[in-house]
Amino acid sequence: MAAGILTRVSQALRGPRLVGAVLSGHGHTLSTAAAAAKPPAAPIDDTGETKILNFPLTQPDFFRLSELYTIKDLFEARVHLGHKKGCRHRLMEPYLFGSRLDVDILDLDQTAEHLQRALNFTAHVAYRGGIILFISRRRQFGHLVETTARECGEYAHTRYWQGGLLTNAPVQYSPGVRLPDLIIFLSTLNNVFQPHVGIRDAAKMNIPTIGVVDSNCNPSLITYPVPGNDDTPATMEMYCRLFKMTINRAKDKRRQMELLRGISASV
Amino acid sequence: MAGSRLEKFGTVFTRVRDLMRAGVIKHEHKPIWFDVYAAFPPKREPLFEKHLRKVRKQTEDSVPEIFYKEDEIRAKFFEVYGNGPRAFELLKSNFVSPCQRFVMKYSELESRGDVKPEALFEETAKALLAEGVLLRKRGGPAQMATESRDPLLNMKLTEMLADQQRDTETETDVSEKRPQEADSTDSQSSSKI
Repeated sequence: MAAGILTRVSQALRGPRLVGAVLSGHGHTLSTAAAAAKPPAAPIDDTGETKILNFPLTQPDFFRLSELYTIKDLFEARVHLGHKKGCRHRLMEPYLFGSRLDVDILDLDQTAEHLQRALNFTAHVAYRGGIILFISRRRQFGHLVETTARECGEYAHTRYWQGGLLTNAPVQYSPGVRLPDLIIFLSTLNNVFQPHVGIRDAAKMNIPTIGVVDSNCNPSLITYPVPGNDDTPATMEMYCRLFKMTINRAKDKRRQMELLRGISASV
Repeated sequence: MAGSRLEKFGTVFTRVRDLMRAGVIKHEHKPIWFDVYAAFPPKREPLFEKHLRKVRKQTEDSVPEIFYKEDEIRAKFFEVYGNGPRAFELLKSNFVSPCQRFVMKYSELESRGDVKPEALFEETAKALLAEGVLLRKRGGPAQMATESRDPLLNMKLTEMLADQQRDTETETDVSEKRPQEADSTDSQSSSKI
């Protein structure tokens, strides 16, 4: 039944009954229209493949990622420490708890929730065999990010970002190159404290992004921002550990589900 | 593959959804993340927002300053005693600094209620002295601890050198009369130096 609801929702998304401009600036029309539109339910194809793909989307925390961290762990890794009041970005104000003697303190309740959504999204993308790219232009943590990517079987780019890496990929690499399905920014700024070009390029190429945004970063273009500190080694190690564990968990789960399907099919 | 490169209009999701609705992106080429986003959308739609210059009044309201009741005590402590006798050990998560001990003792005495509010500051300082925490007032001499200072510490090198000078002068005058005493004092002073 859950799969039926999901196919109905996806039908509504693709169906022609949505009212609104093609490039509407607000997504609110989408959610209300999808709820309102009720086309006839499509026949559910019962092959194991779709079941494997669709069943995890029905559970709120299929990979049990909430047990990977607690708010106390975030506090002890100093995730809540932001920059000084003068460096504050206007768009980060909703995520700030307050400022203690001019040092911005991020709200860990909000951070925990955002982190949960980001990890959940990563897990589902990894479960479906998506390519994940880690980006961080902080030279202090370049090696850490690269080893993290290697240990979970994904990709990392911690060097100078050439202009057309994503936007001109068929020319710079080869015509049939596959672009990443998710980009994780462990620091959204480049070495001159400007937003990383990859954020804008990923939005241009319709690739969702997850980013650790500090109090001096711009979170508006990032799909799943995670307000948090990006300067302390302890914090970066914690993020890398969390993402690595999420991706490995998701891939193991996928292998497990494939095996189960293989067993049940043979039985 | 077809795409829309307008990052300032709509979100990644709305653009892909509308491209699929228009038939530009075929269902077989649907991105992997599309269903995941539909099932678990983010808390805020990732719409592009311009970074306009901030309005002063709004910022003061939205990001409050964090102050605690104990900050008054801490402010007075730092004003009177400067940075405190011990450095802050930031690597220890359960570290209690002298200032924090002062604050805890102050609140304890305040809750007990037998001390007058004006005398509370002095009482706390005395109580901490009794526990062995040495507090030095800014610009003034250190408060004496209960046990007396080792007389060795009171010896100053300049004074000792001046004494030695005087001794050598008296030696030249009185060297024939008491050579041994002069030698012994010289050796003693040299060993102490």
